[in-house]
Amino acid sequence: MENKNKFDLRETLSYFAFEVPVKLYRSIIRHGYPDSEKNKSLLIFTNFFLHILPVKVRKHTVKVRYSYCMGGITLLLFIILTITGGLLMFYYVPSTEKAYQNMKDLEFAVSFGVFLRNMHRWGAHGMVATVFLHMCRVFYTGAYKPPREFNWVIGVILLVSTLFLSFTGYLLPWDQLAFWAITVGATIASYAPMGDLQRFVLLGGNTVDQGALIRFYVAHVFLLPLVTTLLIGVHLWRVRKDGGMSGPPL
Amino acid sequence: MPAKKIDKQDIFPKGSGKTYGLLELVDGESRIASKEPEDTVFCFPHLLTPIMMCTLVTTIVLVLVSLFFNAPLEEIANPVRPPNPAKAPWYFLGLQEMVSYDAFVGGVLFPVLFVLGLMAIPYLDRNPLGVGVWFSKTRPIAIKLFTIFVIINLVLIIIGTFLRGPNWAIYWPWEDQGGGH
Ligand code: HEM
Repeated sequence: MENKNKFDLRETLSYFAFEVPVKLYRSIIRHGYPDSEKNKSLLIFTNFFLHILPVKVRKHTVKVRYSYCMGGITLLLFIILTITGGLLMFYYVPSTEKAYQNMKDLEFAVSFGVFLRNMHRWGAHGMVATVFLHMCRVFYTGAYKPPREFNWVIGVILLVSTLFLSFTGYLLPWDQLAFWAITVGATIASYAPMGDLQRFVLLGGNTVDQGALIRFYVAHVFLLPLVTTLLIGVHLWRVRKDGGMSGPPL
Repeated sequence: MPAKKIDKQDIFPKGSGKTYGLLELVDGESRIASKEPEDTVFCFPHLLTPIMMCTLVTTIVLVLVSLFFNAPLEEIANPVRPPNPAKAPWYFLGLQEMVSYDAFVGGVLFPVLFVLGLMAIPYLDRNPLGVGVWFSKTRPIAIKLFTIFVIINLVLIIIGTFLRGPNWAIYWPWEDQGGGH
């Protein structure tokens, strides 16, 4: 009785050694080992990152030979591009005087700079390829048919925004390749009705110069990623609302 | 008989172990709920495993490519020294190729029609058959038309990338094409 409020070293140590870790774990992961159906369900819908998935899917959905994971790989590449792009932003200044030097610094001065730039560059090419393959998969499996018509439309917008993301990124190194590719692209824009105006708005001037660089930069690191992220969110949400991934009629 | 008094407890039973519930009634045929349970599997592990494998393989491939191949970096931009030919990025070379035939038709009209046409596909195609099957034989025309569209795109990109040299003239890949791409 008198011991009740007394400090008990053994008890305290065992509390911190054995109970706290369990309490900590239980406060983060709120379900037991996923060997029962209940825990398998909880694992999915008590997890922020997994709750976009249903608890159960048709057997058809898990066949890799159906979707070839192309939509998923596109999403993964977009995530990798966001991470590597964020890191590149630490080293890159969107100025016609500094940009090219920054690229050289990435190559020669920054640890893993080349690797970082390569990941971002090849990831971007990869994403253009996989988004196209994903579109082909959706077409050839007839997955755009009702009720998924509008998700296809959102998909087409995602295709266009992926192309623009890649195109705006192309200018940023400010080398000959970048400069002339964008000059060619901007010339194409000038063939449209009111083309000169369009080109002016795109470039923030009449030629590819500082005005164009800052516009492409802001579009590349802020506007287009924002739009793309939102649309991917809607796209995946709609996959669920349209009854999960398509499959042959039951 | 007096109406049975409904207690709050009957509707919201205490200690059911449930923290919340959400129900929604919708019209229409049920897609999953009323089907045989045999047709579905748990996402864990049946879907999460392929997703993790896919993530691993893609990441490893990208890391390997990035270790062995360097992204191009040419000389600093020089507005008075255009390369000949100046090429757009590869996925726009089909566009540039079309522009070389006609600036407005190739550069504006066709691309706009491409995008609008793609968006319109689900509303133009009234054939409900062939969902969930690769190359279903029930939709031969749609498949042919789309394949033609894909091939045109690829052919234009290949011409633009490998067969165009100075002044956008046709050059074979083994000839000196000048410029870069
Ligand atoms: C940034 C680009 C995109 C991302 C990240 C993305 C992501 C995804 C993912 C993860 C799925 C689930 C099924 C799967 O992996 O195949 C999906 C399904 C779908 N996507 Fe995309 N997608 C993109 C672009 C597109 C494009 C360009 C189209 C078509 C023009 C499209 C149309 C669809 C349709 C209709 C579905 C439902 C397919 C089904 O139920 O079988 N998406 N998308």
